[in-house]
Amino acid sequence: MNASDAQEHLEMVERIVAASSRKLEAGGEFFVLWGLISGTLDLLSQLASDGRVPPSAMWLGPVLVVAGIVGSTLFARRCRQDGRMSFLQREFITVLWLTLAMALAVNLIGGNIFAQWAQAAVWSVAASIVLFYIGAHGNRRAQVGGIMMLASIAFANFNLPVAGYALAAGMYLGYAGFGVTDMLARD
Amino acid sequence: MDELLLSKIRLSIIAELLGDEWVSFTALQRSIETTNGNLGAHLGKLIEAGYVTEEKTFVNRRPLSRYALTERGRTAFIAHVRQLEGLLAGTKGEAS
Repeated sequence: MNASDAQEHLEMVERIVAASSRKLEAGGEFFVLWGLISGTLDLLSQLASDGRVPPSAMWLGPVLVVAGIVGSTLFARRCRQDGRMSFLQREFITVLWLTLAMALAVNLIGGNIFAQWAQAAVWSVAASIVLFYIGAHGNRRAQVGGIMMLASIAFANFNLPVAGYALAAGMYLGYAGFGVTDMLARD
Repeated sequence: MDELLLSKIRLSIIAELLGDEWVSFTALQRSIETTNGNLGAHLGKLIEAGYVTEEKTFVNRRPLSRYALTERGRTAFIAHVRQLEGLLAGTKGEAS
């Protein structure tokens, strides 16, 4: 092999590596789905707490969560069909499921410690961890989404009578909003 | 120099697999732009050398062949790239 061939091969390798080291593709649909579900649950809780909807409306919660799990499974299946799974994507999916599973577990087993709005806030914390994880890989929109989620928690903390509305706004704007911008920014 | 990686197609297959946990045959073909037969033959050589592993699975009842780089393949690729860089640096040194 001569120097010209070596250069050609090296340039080809550089091109391929640069093309395949894409930014983390987060999967906007997932964020829209869970942002809307979590936001609606926060909203329902607030409305029920204000007496504007009957407490029986909270039965919608489990239905929405099941719908979210079904939707997420379909999304994961579509990812497999794309024909490529990067190390970064695998890591992201692990972080995503771990945080959601932890939030769910805390809701189920920590009801006495995480009373009132704390249960909803735990979901917001989990969601902001996911957004900041994506943000740490250079995604500015995810960083903004994470900051919005934290702001909603802070606002809820100092405005307890409307905490549900604040947390819902964080989920709609920070989480689902990030999903929408991610879908719009896709090639 | 690694004879196996002197082929541009085999080198590009390894480079494609570098950042991914796995890549399907179709995705590789899309990126490398070669025929089914050609890609299959080159992949066969890389599998035989232990540079790449193949896994056959089903997604939605459709067969899916996916490929991953082995540690041996990664080491060989890094060594090969270093040799190419060395060759280039040597040539530039002689010229100056």
